[in-house]
Amino acid sequence: MEYIGEHLGIGKVGNVFVILSFVFALLASLSYFFAAKDNDDSASWKKIARISFRLHSLSVMGIVGTLFVMLMNHYFEYEYVWHHSNRIMPMRYIMSCFWEGQEGSFLLWTFWHVVLGLILQRTAKNFEAPVMSVISLVQVFLASMLLGITIGEYHLGSNPFTVLLREHPEYSKIPLFSDANYLSNPAFDGRGLNPLLQNYWMTIHPPTLFLGFALTVVPFAYAIAGLWKKQFNEWLKPALPWTYAGVTVLGIGILMGGAWAYEALSFGGFWAWDPVENASLVPWLVLVGAAHLMLINRNKGQSLFTAFFLAILSFLLILYSTYLTRSGILGETSVHSFPTAGMAGQLLVYMFCFVLLGFVLLIVRWKHFPKQTQEEGIWSREFWMFVGAIVLLVSAFQISFYTSIPVWNKLFGMNKAPLKEVIKFYNNWQLPFAFVVTMLIAVGQYFKYKNTDIKEFLKKISVSFVIALALTFLMIYILDFDDRYFSILLFSSIFAAVANIDYMFRVLGGKVKKAGASIAHIGFALVLLGALISTSKKEVISQNTSGKDVAQLGKSYSNNDNILLTQGDTLKMGKYLVTYVRKRHEGINIYFDVDYLTQAENGNLVKEFSLAPLLQTNPRMGNVAEPDTRHFLTYDVYTHITFADMEMLKDKKETADEYAQAKNHTIKKGDTLFSSNAIIIFDSLSVNVDKSKYQLKEGDIAVEAHFQVLDIQKKYKANPIYVIRDNSIQPIESRVDELGLKFMFWQINPEDGKIQISLQEKKSNVRDFIVMQAMIFPYINILWIGCIIMAIGTVLAILERIRKK
Amino acid sequence: MKKIHILGIIVIAVAIGAIFTALNKTSTYADFTEAASDPSSEFHVVGKLNKDKEAIYDPKVDANLFTFFMFDNKGTECKVVLHKNKPQDFERSEQIVLIGQMQGQEFQASDILMKCPSKYNEGQPTANK
Repeated sequence: MEYIGEHLGIGKVGNVFVILSFVFALLASLSYFFAAKDNDDSASWKKIARISFRLHSLSVMGIVGTLFVMLMNHYFEYEYVWHHSNRIMPMRYIMSCFWEGQEGSFLLWTFWHVVLGLILQRTAKNFEAPVMSVISLVQVFLASMLLGITIGEYHLGSNPFTVLLREHPEYSKIPLFSDANYLSNPAFDGRGLNPLLQNYWMTIHPPTLFLGFALTVVPFAYAIAGLWKKQFNEWLKPALPWTYAGVTVLGIGILMGGAWAYEALSFGGFWAWDPVENASLVPWLVLVGAAHLMLINRNKGQSLFTAFFLAILSFLLILYSTYLTRSGILGETSVHSFPTAGMAGQLLVYMFCFVLLGFVLLIVRWKHFPKQTQEEGIWSREFWMFVGAIVLLVSAFQISFYTSIPVWNKLFGMNKAPLKEVIKFYNNWQLPFAFVVTMLIAVGQYFKYKNTDIKEFLKKISVSFVIALALTFLMIYILDFDDRYFSILLFSSIFAAVANIDYMFRVLGGKVKKAGASIAHIGFALVLLGALISTSKKEVISQNTSGKDVAQLGKSYSNNDNILLTQGDTLKMGKYLVTYVRKRHEGINIYFDVDYLTQAENGNLVKEFSLAPLLQTNPRMGNVAEPDTRHFLTYDVYTHITFADMEMLKDKKETADEYAQAKNHTIKKGDTLFSSNAIIIFDSLSVNVDKSKYQLKEGDIAVEAHFQVLDIQKKYKANPIYVIRDNSIQPIESRVDELGLKFMFWQINPEDGKIQISLQEKKSNVRDFIVMQAMIFPYINILWIGCIIMAIGTVLAILERIRKK
Repeated sequence: MKKIHILGIIVIAVAIGAIFTALNKTSTYADFTEAASDPSSEFHVVGKLNKDKEAIYDPKVDANLFTFFMFDNKGTECKVVLHKNKPQDFERSEQIVLIGQMQGQEFQASDILMKCPSKYNEGQPTANK
């Protein structure tokens, strides 16, 4: 069939770019390889290599540009475009569509490598050839992920330009494609972007994170180059600023992911030790270790092997994290891993190639390393920095090992599921590491290289120690911080911040330019402090008010985190009174306006603020709840909808006059019942029923029940009658029409005097309600401020490094 | 003995501890029968919702109580009492992972994970909305 209106040309253009990017990456890698060998031709190889890498860069830009054009013009004939975008989606999320899929996210990563490669071509000088050879080789592998060709039985990569929707094996038989003009069908639209990704943070978090990922390739490439060219110390100087940059950008990227989770996801926090989060945290920890060891080496030439090892490892861990998140192996354990796209095998091959390259080269060259003449002194800065780096490595190992349980399951045929309280498990394990690291951050700079006069050291550090101790007790008092285990980290992170502030002013004389390290460490300490306080003092203020005690079922069931709010009612919640005011429809979002009130001294209610948590309705992808958070200087109030009756969301005018399903109650005299609009009290029973009024016969047995029905303004009566006529029960109903209530009297138990009645309400009575969760996160701003300070500090450190050149 | 060796020993000890706890501090994927045979332990049970039976959630009575019936992967049906709110889009779930323990004839779940095919992959190209 000839299809009408398809844009097949642009796909061909894109595909040509894909092939070219692969070919030129291969050419660049090979020619840089020959250029790195010292021979007569190296200059001309270098020329070819440079041109090849530039052409590779152009091809990558071409791929990116083509894909954007396809997305922006809604070319849904392409599976990728159909899969990740649609017409109704706001244009500002077009970037998110771009990297939602595996292909796009690999492309983003490739793109950053190209940018870094182009900078390194100009700045790496002697190291250009070996470093660029490694980076080009990485690019060969990444470019192959997009090739989308089939060799024999094996598919190599997935190509967004060659997979047409109508040819896709899953969709090809769909009736839509029997119409040659399917594209002009006005109702045909893309599947659209995952609603969770339609968020501000999601447009900036992935590019930042991927730049962080990409930056780890630079220390890796330098380390390989250093080993290869036997320049065991020379690689450190140019690689250090790049490593710092990696630490900064990857760190910010991870915290942005946390901010996204906090603002847009509904698990109630910024960090859940989710495998995907861990997959980027682990390489960051190792990269931080690598940066510090590289610095020791640069200054003192110690622990060279470990410096190489960590610099190589951090990149390999990025590859491993890619494997974890892209191969589908995490499956049930993670909420946001990518579905598999058949690239698992390819990713494994990719990973093992670089593991071999890195570690074989390291072991082969080990014996050529310059001999370390003497051991580090116990009072030297380099020794404690080394200890710190090792602690980071062990911490990374613990996280990585537990995160990899699905991998161990697969490898060893086990069947282990992660713990339910996995957050607590990680927290308890990581706390001692965090304690040691923060203590080292506090004292580290007071140690001198080689040897430290210990009396001098104690004198200098004691001020900070005393201040930190005082601050810690103050914090414990203010926050009512009762967890002793966590309070040691409270102290150590305060100590780290105070000691570095002190160092910056007293030792460095407040020279900001020189204080990059101190500032970065202050920031890191504050991040930990903010995380510690906001997590351990997080308070769920929404409480189950149903009166049912679920906690009796066992410790893990004290799950009273939800509150039911009926429209118009005001309930107490923590220090606030809350009212569910209304719901609003805006596009695909339904906002639920919730007012937070407090009681003034004169008893009046004062509105403090309003929150509007929302539900995003998406007929294809399901509904997604997005929280809303009110930020204050010292705490955040976080709310999100855990349940809203979707039936209620429809217009129900037609059925408003009908009675809803009856509810049965067994009650005794004096009991109280609640309808949605009234309080009902069972007063008494009487047998003196006015028989003529109710047209009762002589032989009937009749008992009348008397109820008081009270709403806010008035008191009503309801008198349903229990009648036995000819051995069958024929009750007479009683209605309170003003309140839309109907009573039926069904049974009397003469032994205990209890009666059974049924109560029906008109559907118009049933008011809208939501089930909501609300939490207070105290001092979470310390975390975000720490993040910014850390970024400023590392940027200063990078500038200082570059200046020293 | 050099300092580096002492450090090495500590590192190895901690690493072994990390491996050991990681392998022990886990629960196991199981079916209802296995969960019933050991009511004191917590299990992860994977299965599918029984769509023919009623799933009851009445937030007016208890916003933290939701009951439904589920088949495990071996096809055994069991009543499930979830002590949480009913998750959004519950009916659309393709696969359910329950975390909890068996009490009598009921599986008392403290948490639930759902796999909704729709979130990522499902949704066929269509022109009828």
